[in-house]
Amino acid sequence: MTTPLTETGALGSVGELLVAPLIGFGFGWFLERGGLGHAPKLAGQFYLTDLTVFKVMFTALVTAMLGAFWLDQIGLLDLRLVYVPETFVVPQAVGGIVFGAGFLIGGLCPGTSCVAAATGRLDGLGVIGGMLAGIAVFNTMFDRIATFYQSTALGAVTLTDLAGVSRGLGVACITVMALAGFALAARLERVRR
Amino acid sequence: MTAYDDPYLAGVGLGAVLLGAYVVVGHGLGASGAFASVVAAGTAAAVGTARASAMPAVAPYLPQGISSFLRDWFVLELVGVALGGFCSAWLGGRLRAGVERGPHVNNGQRMYAAIVGGVLMGVGAKFARGCTSGQALTGGALLSAGSWIFIATCFVSAYIVAPFARRLWQ
Amino acid sequence: MMPIRRVLAIVAATAGLAAAAAGPGSSERATLLAAEISAGADHISAPELADRIMRREPTLQIFDLRSASEYEQLHIATARQASIETLAREHPSADATIVLYSEGSTHAAQSWVLLRLRGYRHVYVLREGLYEWIARVLEPRLAVDATAAERAEFERAAEHSRFFGGVPLADVARSEVPVGYWTSGRTVPVDSTKQAVAGIRRRGC
Repeated sequence: MTTPLTETGALGSVGELLVAPLIGFGFGWFLERGGLGHAPKLAGQFYLTDLTVFKVMFTALVTAMLGAFWLDQIGLLDLRLVYVPETFVVPQAVGGIVFGAGFLIGGLCPGTSCVAAATGRLDGLGVIGGMLAGIAVFNTMFDRIATFYQSTALGAVTLTDLAGVSRGLGVACITVMALAGFALAARLERVRR
Repeated sequence: MTAYDDPYLAGVGLGAVLLGAYVVVGHGLGASGAFASVVAAGTAAAVGTARASAMPAVAPYLPQGISSFLRDWFVLELVGVALGGFCSAWLGGRLRAGVERGPHVNNGQRMYAAIVGGVLMGVGAKFARGCTSGQALTGGALLSAGSWIFIATCFVSAYIVAPFARRLWQ
Repeated sequence: MMPIRRVLAIVAATAGLAAAAAGPGSSERATLLAAEISAGADHISAPELADRIMRREPTLQIFDLRSASEYEQLHIATARQASIETLAREHPSADATIVLYSEGSTHAAQSWVLLRLRGYRHVYVLREGLYEWIARVLEPRLAVDATAAERAEFERAAEHSRFFGGVPLADVARSEVPVGYWTSGRTVPVDSTKQAVAGIRRRGC
């Protein structure tokens, strides 16, 4: 197994930090090229006038997902050594609800707000400022919500772990779902025209 | 100004970058974590590193004291995000100073909404242990259950709030 | 649809649907092997091995992972001598049934993992090695106070024993009956194989 490079010793901790801005550069580059640094475009997703967010996000997700799956199959990537976030069912659901509302109102998410701010948009700075404040607010109330915050922990489980099916089946289902979504998006756009 | 890329092509590029992150550093992208790191540094500056390190929500971001954020992978990544976005916009002639908003609100109202939205996202991202970059994209591609819970609730919530905030954007 | 989008869609659909048919990734194989070991699916018992040898299974290959001199003293019929290293250079056919045994089964167990990782599907370890072979196949013992189940097992063992030129003995004291995981579940002392082999040699076999 040759990768991840940081886990097989090929890349040390200094190297890991050095590549961070490089990876970030690619991230910001493609976000901007896709138009995701432009708040009205992002918000348009939720009025079904501009489906760019869905297209970019799910294409990226499927690309990385298929790439990681097949690299692991042929032994070039050890998926066990790739960090999978832990699942906290209820806190993450609540977080999603609150975040989604904020996303709609603010029009930019944390990553795209940086792209927006870097390309001159003041509203990007507004979102950044709001987020820093929101995190600070969370920190001050942490003691009161700490138990809830840690509740319903399942560990670093995947959908296929919970469903008891092979990872490959999960990958296939997500790919089919995304492609169906893209077809639906194309139909929606044709209707609008 | 050149037009934006085909979203599918941009998506493939983004996915390739994410895959590259898995392969090179063994984890994906993130954004909200970097913000939390900066808040931790600010907290340490405001009340002193000792008091800040005693706060359970802040302590994890201060492993090396107040300067931890300078060595935080995600903070360095976000610097790159800003640079990459800037370069791409600059080369495409899409740099534009100003406020972007819907047609029926003014700049002040838009900025107010941006801040409010940011506050909500800051709180939501903490509960969710990430945002659209760290959870939806990164965790989603790895089939993490919590990430997909986040994707579903985030999108549904935004769609539900949308009609009430129509004036902001339409 | 634009040509590039069509290409992307076809690639994604192919890679995605093929994933459904894919087996475990290389990173999952170790977890699955660990589960097999836990469940004891890596073991074969001496009587079962004896059956397979007697049936002259064509794909059966047995490897003795002890030293050459120990192999010369006594080895399971049709077994070949190998070390962990020489075994790593062997290339049995993919559908071969490979049985491994060694002193105390450490090298056998390690070779089991190596062969399984190389993709061989039918690899087994003789759990108590030559000790078990001698105790249950070559020189089975029936105690005077044997139970009906023990008598039935002895009948089968006696057949094996005669085939392999061993000596079955009935009506011995209970203390003379060798113990192992197949009797009371007590673990066998490490040098039991040497003692068992020495016992046979003393008889001038």
